[in-house]
Amino acid sequence: MTEFLGAVSGGVGLGAVYTLLALGFVIIYKSMQVISFAQPAFMFAGALLVTYLTPQIGFFLGVVVAAIGIAAVGLVVERLAIRPMVGKPVFVIAIITIGIDVIVRTIGGAFVGRDPRQIGDPWGNQTFDLAGVTIYQRHVAAVVVTTLLVLALLAFFRWTPIGLAMRASALDQEAAMAQGVSVGSVFAISWALAGALATVAGVFAATNTGGSMDRNLWLVALAALPVIILGGLDSLGGAVLGGLIIGVLQQLVAVYHRDWFPFLDTNLREITPYLVMLVVLLVRPHGLFGTKEVERV
Amino acid sequence: MITRNARVGAIAGVLVASLALAGCGREDEGGEGVSKDGEGGTISLGTITDLTGPFAGVGEPFTAGQAAFWEDVNDAGGIDGWKVDVTKHVKDSGYDPAVHAELFNEIKDEVLAIGQSLGTAHTNAILEDATADKIIVGPASLGSNWIWDEAAIQVGTSYCAEAMNAVDYAVEQGAKSIAVVHLPGDYGDDAMVGARIAAEANDVEFTDIETGPVAAGDDQAAAVRAVVQADPDVLIVAASPQELGAVMGGAFQQGWQGQVIGSIPTWNIALVADDSPVKDLITSAYMQATSFPTWDADVPGFEAMRAAAGDQAPNDWFAIGYASGYVMKAILEKAIEEAGDDGPTREDVYNAAQELTSVDSQGTLPEGTGNYAGEPNEQAVRVTQLNKVDPDASGKISVAVEPFVGPTAEGYEFTEPCYEMK
Repeated sequence: MTEFLGAVSGGVGLGAVYTLLALGFVIIYKSMQVISFAQPAFMFAGALLVTYLTPQIGFFLGVVVAAIGIAAVGLVVERLAIRPMVGKPVFVIAIITIGIDVIVRTIGGAFVGRDPRQIGDPWGNQTFDLAGVTIYQRHVAAVVVTTLLVLALLAFFRWTPIGLAMRASALDQEAAMAQGVSVGSVFAISWALAGALATVAGVFAATNTGGSMDRNLWLVALAALPVIILGGLDSLGGAVLGGLIIGVLQQLVAVYHRDWFPFLDTNLREITPYLVMLVVLLVRPHGLFGTKEVERV
Repeated sequence: MITRNARVGAIAGVLVASLALAGCGREDEGGEGVSKDGEGGTISLGTITDLTGPFAGVGEPFTAGQAAFWEDVNDAGGIDGWKVDVTKHVKDSGYDPAVHAELFNEIKDEVLAIGQSLGTAHTNAILEDATADKIIVGPASLGSNWIWDEAAIQVGTSYCAEAMNAVDYAVEQGAKSIAVVHLPGDYGDDAMVGARIAAEANDVEFTDIETGPVAAGDDQAAAVRAVVQADPDVLIVAASPQELGAVMGGAFQQGWQGQVIGSIPTWNIALVADDSPVKDLITSAYMQATSFPTWDADVPGFEAMRAAAGDQAPNDWFAIGYASGYVMKAILEKAIEEAGDDGPTREDVYNAAQELTSVDSQGTLPEGTGNYAGEPNEQAVRVTQLNKVDPDASGKISVAVEPFVGPTAEGYEFTEPCYEMK
């Protein structure tokens, strides 16, 4: 039982990373109806920036500065590459985000160097015991930070004028514009938020890999796609729940797959999110909390 | 007015002049990958490596090491007046076998040989064509398969033989159980099979733990649990440094205590950086199995390598890249000696490689390297040394167990690549 609970706690920690990434996807989707494939690159670039900033200004300040920096990159990318495409088919914009992803990762890759870069987090492999269950400090940190960020986002959407504008725009873009909402600002803010969230996700993803990152860090962000399919493309709550479900499921499979499927001599962990995605698409294409598309004929 | 005869004469003159110039051109250009200049000339070697993919951390320093080696050779006058260029045809495969094969086709007419081909599957993808075209290939890979390929000029002990030695050493130290955490694929499987063969030969418990492919964000929970459950006396790891750190960190945190021996690619100086969370663990419980000397080794070849490296941070792959140059140099020396005035052809180089029985590597390569004239089992290098973390060494690693060949590797007859016996 303690092993099971240990796996669940690890899964919740991993799920927190997925949640942060998925929130970025959902925020952009809600504002533009576009899935941004640039999230993996923002995550990679954010974590990379932290590895450079930590030795200079410390880890925590480094994360804050990097998140602001990548948010600024998000703003620039939105203004230069996405805004001019507004009105074009969403498929075209999605393809552009793939191009942005490749460009940012390639440029960032040149700054990784030949050795893995230390993220410099203070948790390392430290654990504590809770009723016999071994829990990693880094997982607790990921959950606490994610919770705070989710609460802050909810407050932002509920109580700030721009947050309200984003909600209005998500409900009906034309009506929002008619009421004087600057849809351009909504787009820009959504990209900035997604960039900042991806940075924090990248930092916690790197803590899971021995506290270091290399050029492959972006791969972890791919698992956020099944998360948003599960939670629903336009649901912030779905991103949170979907992230936790996929994270826990993935970790349980990682720990128990040799017991459950001894004949499968491979690591099922890698494909778990995609199996879930396949099932969700077949059974409930709009996800747990996504808006069911109604088409008038 | 120009007459018809005059026009015909002019055309004929141009044709003759063209042929004469073409003839001169041939004399100056030499064969494929060879450009003649006076008594000597320039030989071009190709490099197909990974500069942007998952093994860029190997490919980039390996390529730099080879470039440094040839710069030294060229500065000292080259080989009998011939300079060797390894910088003009450097191609980045991104660690994709299909791209690797495409790049080979792109440069094969411009080079005399392939000085570096990174990756086992990648090199296998070009070897058939290379053999047909008599192009020798230097694999930057330690798979146990190269001894059967005429075109391959492999260096060092295979992962398979290295793992046999690691297990023999562990058993000699009293280990009764062995586990291997390894990546799927030629590298990890080669080491796993070698360890399994040695474990069977020594009649000790053996556990095979395959981990996920190289991907970030995985805290290796599956491998960690399997290690803790198997509770081996010695754990052998054939993965990347990040996976080593995650597995060791997780397993020790969950109470497992034992010795870890990693294949060459598991080591990276970043593992013992001040801010590395596994610094203390790696320092106390890890050894690296390798057949190459450490960065600080007191041998003439590495003295030259360190001088050539300048302020380059100590890096195993740079050193091995530098050392691998000695093999190609020995082959080219032989080929140039036997070639005509136009310089060596591919066939000269190919034949020279098949006749080579040893290489004077100035102490940089393990004993037995460079015997491409021998039968496959004679070609197989079997020596391994074990390194431990040493904070005082500039490469942060020094020899813990001097080069040895364990009884399993010594008596083992290779009949097929180990990784195919998974």
